[in-house]
Amino acid sequence: MRIGILSFDHLHAEIYRENLRNIPDVELVGFSHEKLEEGAEFARRSGLNWFRKHSELLASNLNGAIICCETARHRELVEAAADAGCHILCEKPIATNLADAKAMLDACTRQGVHFMTAFPMRFAPSVTSLRAMVQKGDFGKILGINGINHSEIPTGHRTWFGNRMMAGGGAVMDHTVHLVDLFRWIFNVEIREVYAEINSLLGAPQVDVDTAGLLLLTFANGLQASIDCSWSRPTFYPRWGHLKMEVIGEKGTAVMDGFAEHLTLYSRGAPRNPSWIGFSRDPNQAMIEEFVASIRENRPPQVTWQDGYKALEVALAAYESEKLQRPVRIGSNVGQ
Amino acid sequence: MRVGIVGAGTMGAAHAAAWRSTKARLIGCSSAHQSQSDQLAWLHGIRSYRAFTDLLQEVDIVDICTPTATHRSMVLEAAHAGKHVLCEKPVALRQEDAEAMVRACEGAGVRFFVCMVVRFFPQYRLAKDLVSEGKIGNLTVLRLKRVSYPPRKKVENWYIDETRSGGMIVDLMIHDFDFARWVGGDVERVFARRSQSDQGPAEYAQAILRFKSGAIGLIEGGWAYPPGVFRTGFDLSGSDGLIEWNSDQPGPVDVLRAPGAANAAAVGLPVSGIAEDPYTIEICHAYDAIRTGKSFDVTAEDALQSLRIALAARESINTNQPAIL
Repeated sequence: MRIGILSFDHLHAEIYRENLRNIPDVELVGFSHEKLEEGAEFARRSGLNWFRKHSELLASNLNGAIICCETARHRELVEAAADAGCHILCEKPIATNLADAKAMLDACTRQGVHFMTAFPMRFAPSVTSLRAMVQKGDFGKILGINGINHSEIPTGHRTWFGNRMMAGGGAVMDHTVHLVDLFRWIFNVEIREVYAEINSLLGAPQVDVDTAGLLLLTFANGLQASIDCSWSRPTFYPRWGHLKMEVIGEKGTAVMDGFAEHLTLYSRGAPRNPSWIGFSRDPNQAMIEEFVASIRENRPPQVTWQDGYKALEVALAAYESEKLQRPVRIGSNVGQ
Repeated sequence: MRVGIVGAGTMGAAHAAAWRSTKARLIGCSSAHQSQSDQLAWLHGIRSYRAFTDLLQEVDIVDICTPTATHRSMVLEAAHAGKHVLCEKPVALRQEDAEAMVRACEGAGVRFFVCMVVRFFPQYRLAKDLVSEGKIGNLTVLRLKRVSYPPRKKVENWYIDETRSGGMIVDLMIHDFDFARWVGGDVERVFARRSQSDQGPAEYAQAILRFKSGAIGLIEGGWAYPPGVFRTGFDLSGSDGLIEWNSDQPGPVDVLRAPGAANAAAVGLPVSGIAEDPYTIEICHAYDAIRTGKSFDVTAEDALQSLRIALAARESINTNQPAIL
């Protein structure tokens, strides 16, 4: 099985490289990156074959392509990869607007390739076990859900995250989609309405996007949930951030911490001191294995384009709500 | 100075114990429930008065710990009698009630202190001080949590009667609305949602605040956990740092027992610090300020503003639109 990584713009590309190396029958053909200086640096750091043109990598007989470019360029690379007959794993959020997202689906349908959205937290044991409890009805009627996806501002790793044109938005765009996807998957219901308060007070240099957001969602069945998607952890926090969820039910409450399993390390001269080092299995590994398995078994992946699209709709509706200062219905043509 | 307590339930008992740490003379108590008043009086060796009016005549300070719906008339009566007043939070059910109470005390020249006790919890006070000292820069986004179980008083469970307590949002979430204002300044608008159980008084609410400064905050409140479980916490994020605290953290002494032995109190009280009882700090502060004429750390205006936010949150729930303050 031949896999290529299209662009190293997204920092997850480095994780996927590790994940792919752990799968025996996968050949990681290489990565493409068209910005020459960066590409040379990533090639040196990763030890991978570097293709200076995406088209060159796509011409090397790939079964699957992982799209890790800036969000605004996903469409261009997804279309090219689909035309080259590759199955696709696309970084989240899948696009900066719904039109691009739909065009990506069209390209994949036309070429008969599958599209998987990169939502690794679906593969975290904390999430799968919470989902099993919810679906068994362990908590009775659910009164509310409290979702948190905090992180540091990611612009220290990749500057384009702070660029509105390239990323389509900041904290809300970056983090809302993860929790929306988990909500939809765990509770098996669509989001009906969203209200959001958003600000950009973090004041980092060269950032023209939002840095904090609080959302209140209503699901189609009336259930309420909050999302805190803020880049509100300092860059000197013990870890990049966290993903947490509380499910408050009549018969009990679940408190989930997706990254609870960690040690606290104090190490002289370390960039984060102390730092939290995880000891549970990297959910990205299971996600990449699912991508590879779906290609091998010639079936749709467990996480689809639809999942990426639904999550994007909510993020875009949150920006709309902030602008209008009122709750916004999902699917009411926002963000076109 | 002579002090009397009205209301001998959860808060009356907490305040009575706290008054013992002051130099004031706690002389008596009264309650609509004679037996509760008698029991509290017996415990502290003070007199149990049949009538609030009789108690009022023999004290310099009256401490009102009765259901919220009675606050207005009691504070007005105390003010007319020329007595200083301490009043449990929430100050009142309606803004006009609170304003009338403030006016009556000002008119009578007596001091009026609303017991917003969270400001006297050591961890909340320290967090406020750290924010004020600029340790985390400008506040950008904050999260406050206060989720407990439904009050289950055997006699007169007035907390769950919204017409007497204001309900969970006014009675419980007001603490965090007040703390939010204290650390974040004035609030511009609030949007809230609530979900209620079909089978009992359990409810859970989430409110998003927008501050005048541009900062935003999520306030989570509920009577939604199993009996005996009460979780609180705050997460204050600023341009230069972060403050985290939550009641799930290990305490100075955690006692492990066989599960199932929990004997939950009628009304849950949150954890504070091991050595400092916030009710005692609060009462000592109020007494000291009354005795010396110094200003209170929590003003009647603060109490009123937190009530306004709570009422706005309820309005937002009803309209499904943000409520502008």
